[in-house]
Amino acid sequence: EVAYSQSTGQKEQLSRCVLRGIRRVQDLCKVLRLPSVFEGTAVSYLQRALQHPSFRLVSVEKKELLGGCCVLATCRQHNWPLTMGTICSLLYAKQELVASVLLSVQKELGISMPALGLADLVKTHLNGFQLFRHAEDIPAPFVEDEEKLLARTMQVVELASETWLVTGRHPVPVVTAAAFLAWQSLQPAARLACTLARFCKVAGIDLPPPAHLRLKELHEILLRMASQLAWLRVFKLDKKTVVKHIGDLLQHRIFLLKNAFCVEDVEEQQGAAQGEASPAAAGAAQEEGQPSKGKGDPEGSRGPLLPPCLLRPRKRLRTAALSASEAAITGDEPISDSEIEQYLRGPEEVRAFRRAKAWQ
Amino acid sequence: MDADSDVALDILITNVVCVFRTRCHLNLRKIALEGANVIYKRDVGKVLMKLRKPRITATIWSSGKVICTGATSEEEAKFGARRLARCLQKLGFQVIFTDFKVVNVLAVCNMPFEIRLPEFTKNNRPHASYEPELHPAVCYRIKTLRATLQIFSTGSITVTG
Repeated sequence: EVAYSQSTGQKEQLSRCVLRGIRRVQDLCKVLRLPSVFEGTAVSYLQRALQHPSFRLVSVEKKELLGGCCVLATCRQHNWPLTMGTICSLLYAKQELVASVLLSVQKELGISMPALGLADLVKTHLNGFQLFRHAEDIPAPFVEDEEKLLARTMQVVELASETWLVTGRHPVPVVTAAAFLAWQSLQPAARLACTLARFCKVAGIDLPPPAHLRLKELHEILLRMASQLAWLRVFKLDKKTVVKHIGDLLQHRIFLLKNAFCVEDVEEQQGAAQGEASPAAAGAAQEEGQPSKGKGDPEGSRGPLLPPCLLRPRKRLRTAALSASEAAITGDEPISDSEIEQYLRGPEEVRAFRRAKAWQ
Repeated sequence: MDADSDVALDILITNVVCVFRTRCHLNLRKIALEGANVIYKRDVGKVLMKLRKPRITATIWSSGKVICTGATSEEEAKFGARRLARCLQKLGFQVIFTDFKVVNVLAVCNMPFEIRLPEFTKNNRPHASYEPELHPAVCYRIKTLRATLQIFSTGSITVTG
């Protein structure tokens, strides 16, 4: 005997929601040109997610994002550099919603997602640039060799990573700013006049808003490093002219970083300056004394290598420490009527309020 | 920082969340009319009442459930909750202060060093999760304590749980 459900294949049929989700995963894998192995894994994650009680009753909007999140999780597990921004733009979804669905998928299905590899992200991000072939809308001096640009950008990104500019920040603006600096440094004569916005337009990529800040921070780091390079000390470098010497700075970056951000030397010099009463020492103390006031002014004087948010801390409102009387609270103190009366309206006030109907 | 050096760390409690029940139905319109420092959210069916001392905000539902936030210690949270229950009693409700429970404590601490988050995450899987595209801090979960730590590159740590 054969059951009706077996003869008609009812149990083998997938619901419309699952079929739509699988089709979306397949389309995403085709658009992103992912290996075929990724598609199988992402589809299995999607089916598990849709069968999970946490996702069965979510809105249609969230179910449509599940496919993208499963693809993103699969790519991360295979160290394939795919950013959340790419998934959001492909699905026409807000980042907050995609983030919430992704975190739920990660938690409910127990999927571990390694962090995005910066080196792989640099390669993928530069692959999208349109600067490597001559075209009508790209000036000839702007065209660059892909391998050279990639190598230089990787070095700048590594420098940014060592100098606390990457940790805790969105990676794409850092990569964009690093690529811009690397591109300028390869042919500075023709490219120094080009702004970051124009560079992104010519390269055919979006300009992420924080990229300007990352670029400014990179300039500051490079200027500090340049101040320690003997043959550059005679020049008065600024953020434009330092770009010409990025090659030298990157070549000697370990030595320069150590010298440019050394705290012990500053303290020794301050101590020596205070001990001597000579005008020369006083002049040196004035010059070097700025870092002692705080975490250091990055322009011109030495200071420790710290994350930028520590160098320029925002004012934080902290609650004051508990006073002795407040610290003695046990929670079971008696409460007098007078303390409570202040939280209740009097009869006249209630009448006036009722007349005004302000409480409705 | 040496492993042997003993550095005192200040852990500052910034928020304590507690709940309690009044074991009676509460008329939110009456509380909004006769209570001072009250905001009536008709669309979501709750009333917010703020006390000055201790500085807490209470969310009151008509079912009698009350959530208090803003206290800086568990004792202060209990004191504030009792004061609120007393206010509701004065308004004429038959309030019985029951099922008091501290549900969440938020504390902040600053380490005297900076932290490289990608390396920290790599060395502390699977407890640590770092998504720089979403949030600048590492999320570290301690399942046994049911606590979550947000670890920033500046060394600042926020503990909730």
